[in-house]
Amino acid sequence: IAESTVVDPEVRAHVYSLVTALGGFNGEDADKYVLGDDALACLRDIKRWLKLYDEKYNRMDVARCLGEANLVNGDLLPILSTFAHSKKQTKYMSRIALACLEILVPLTWPLEMQGEMMADNFKHIPYLQHSHVAYKRGILNHASTGYLRTIIRIGLPSMAIPRPERATRDEGILKLMLFFLRNIALITPNTRLAAEGDEEETSRSATINAFQDQDVFALILTMCSNVGDDFNMQDVALLEILFHLVRGIDVDKLFMDDTQRTAKRTDELDDLLRKESSLRREYAKNAPTRHGRFGTMIWVKRDDAKYSTVSGQSVLKDDQTTFQKMDESKKWNKPQFRRKVQDLTLYNDFSTPVHINSAASENLRKFVEEFLDSGFNPLFTHVRKAIEREADRVVDINTRQFFYTVSWFLQAERARRARQREKRAQSERPGKEIEPDSFGLVASVLDQETFVFLNRAMQYAVDNKDWQDLTAEMRCFTQILLTVQDMVQSPLEEDQEIAENIQNRIFYEETTHDRVIAIVRGYTDQGFGYLNACTELSHVFLRMLERYSKENVDMQVRSRRRARRKQKEAGGVVEGENDEEHGSEDEDMLEAERMSKERSFDFRRFAAKFCNQKCVDTFVSFTKHYRELNTEQLKRAHRYFYRIAFKQEMSVLLFRLDIINLFYRMIKGPGALDSSKSIYKDWEELVRQIYRKLTRKLEQRPALFVELLFSKTNATTFYLEYGHERQTLPSV
Amino acid sequence: STMPILGVDDKVKVSKHRRFVAKLDESRLLSHSGIPKLRRTSRQRLRLKGKGHEYSDVARLLNFYQLWLDNLYPRAKFADGLAIIEKLGHSKRMQTMRREWIDEEKPKALAAEA
Repeated sequence: IAESTVVDPEVRAHVYSLVTALGGFNGEDADKYVLGDDALACLRDIKRWLKLYDEKYNRMDVARCLGEANLVNGDLLPILSTFAHSKKQTKYMSRIALACLEILVPLTWPLEMQGEMMADNFKHIPYLQHSHVAYKRGILNHASTGYLRTIIRIGLPSMAIPRPERATRDEGILKLMLFFLRNIALITPNTRLAAEGDEEETSRSATINAFQDQDVFALILTMCSNVGDDFNMQDVALLEILFHLVRGIDVDKLFMDDTQRTAKRTDELDDLLRKESSLRREYAKNAPTRHGRFGTMIWVKRDDAKYSTVSGQSVLKDDQTTFQKMDESKKWNKPQFRRKVQDLTLYNDFSTPVHINSAASENLRKFVEEFLDSGFNPLFTHVRKAIEREADRVVDINTRQFFYTVSWFLQAERARRARQREKRAQSERPGKEIEPDSFGLVASVLDQETFVFLNRAMQYAVDNKDWQDLTAEMRCFTQILLTVQDMVQSPLEEDQEIAENIQNRIFYEETTHDRVIAIVRGYTDQGFGYLNACTELSHVFLRMLERYSKENVDMQVRSRRRARRKQKEAGGVVEGENDEEHGSEDEDMLEAERMSKERSFDFRRFAAKFCNQKCVDTFVSFTKHYRELNTEQLKRAHRYFYRIAFKQEMSVLLFRLDIINLFYRMIKGPGALDSSKSIYKDWEELVRQIYRKLTRKLEQRPALFVELLFSKTNATTFYLEYGHERQTLPSV
Repeated sequence: STMPILGVDDKVKVSKHRRFVAKLDESRLLSHSGIPKLRRTSRQRLRLKGKGHEYSDVARLLNFYQLWLDNLYPRAKFADGLAIIEKLGHSKRMQTMRREWIDEEKPKALAAEA
């Protein structure tokens, strides 16, 4: 009953009759798929239904019927298999195969759950998500036919034609082929729906292995390295395939060899076991030593002759457990306001880690290395230009994909270099001179055009509150900075010079500095991906800028604000005069704003801009995740708080009870950091020093007892830190 | 008889208003048991030992504030209460009060310096 009401019965009847007429497994040989007499026309009709009903009226009814009729696994794939195994290429069969591809692409197209869609469609989406996964499973799990290879075979004749002679139809076929591969790479089982069958069969590992086995990687490499000459229109589709292949995969793990990876895995398992045992130990410490009805109860004597009662034996042990239990027994929770999830499409999420098995790691790594050697520069230059000139094939999401993919591959290049260095260091003959590699392989994203593009994109994302885009761009910027840092240490003089040049360009613009600060200050509730990216960016940016400004003592930056303020002062003098002059005066003002001045750069003053409540709050939100953070991330937070408390002498910013409480939990528990790790010692020492400062400050200035509750204003901070008012006005 | 039996015929009174829920707001924070009490008691009740006892000192400090908050607004958990109070601190009235409390201490500090 349900089935018939979901879709208009007439539509269903039409679609079913087409699927039935297409062909089937009935004939003399039951194993052989027999095409119906009018198979090609049926396929074209099905395509027409998809186009003229689903697409035109913005529905998903036909797609749903085709899913229920099992068209893909029951008909299209067997037909493609017949095509693949046929000895001689008939024109009819290749047309049939192409018609299959033309249906497969819309049937596997990503399901967007965006606003404009008809409300009606939402009921189809879970079903279609399921069927997408089933399609992917059918396509990847070939018994005798490599379907991906077959699809490539459909496109090969068009590929072979040189671009100037290629017809629109050929370009269309190439597009279809690439979008099919993109769709296959993209389909992921929805974790919110119950899994059907083995998830491993449609995982990223399975995709990568199939891509390797069926020469899809070879195809991608060929197209990427010739993107400027023969495959002008395919750049964006290639970018999308790459994005969906690599998103979420840990670069460092990818570039380990098997023994290292096993060791790393053992370490991780070891870590997890230790975490679990420490959890258990902690529980055992506070667990009751008698049975559950032993019934202990204590009084907590408070001032004003008041008492609180707390029950349970554990509370006898110490104050901390008693107080904690008092707190836990409260039932009311402060209402939380959560940001609505803006991006409903799972496909573009790159912050969630993805794990792949060792065979897939090996395959992907080989591909990545070859891509870096041949395809990186041509592809990314071409895509950047396409996005910049807003070519028709570009959609909004491509910008995000571009920056994320660039950052991923830059990181991969750095990981590869690190691994090579390691290998050379370990090799038996250290005396042998090896020609050092230049950074030319990734040069295309280190040019001035890319920086301009990146800067503009970041500013646009900040202005439009596009947090996902901004996260990708921050990661890209961080990786560029780290790559440049590696270049500085390159043995090649040319590389060093270029790196110097790039740093000069990056650090010359004061707007870049201000933007980094604005981003860190701008965190409210954009999620962990943003938090991780912005703290990493600020960490890397600050450290590199510090080093660079030390080496270049007379560093200059292009500043805009000073010019503006002078103009304002000048404007104040003439304000009393007649209004007619105001028009031109405003123009002068604008001109002055645009005018920029060079001034010498003072790192200390720049670093001081990170010392405010907003930035501290961002890092505190980051540190709140301390139980899930890795050593590198914990170190990042540690360095920041160290800078606040001791380098900039602004420890007052940390004297707020929730921060003090957080630090206490990190060290003393419950749920403390693993005390056997070295990073624990660093934190323990830092927190101790901060606490020492705190107790001293409380003695000196009792007003802090109240101010501990609040975020402090600038004037208050200054007074609490130094004991007097700020004498001069802070210069901007 | 016309006498109602056991109140069965009486109309049931439906109270219109929900029970009043106390809020942690400025006036509560500035009341006798709020910040004034904190200012009165913190100095005497909290004896901090200083160097070498950083963690136990801070534990005592945290406990002291927890009890104070529990007294002031028993409904909220410690962390929740702190978040609410921190937010209240942004208001105009609280800002002026905080300014005053700091200024009260200042002459003493200046005198000590001189």
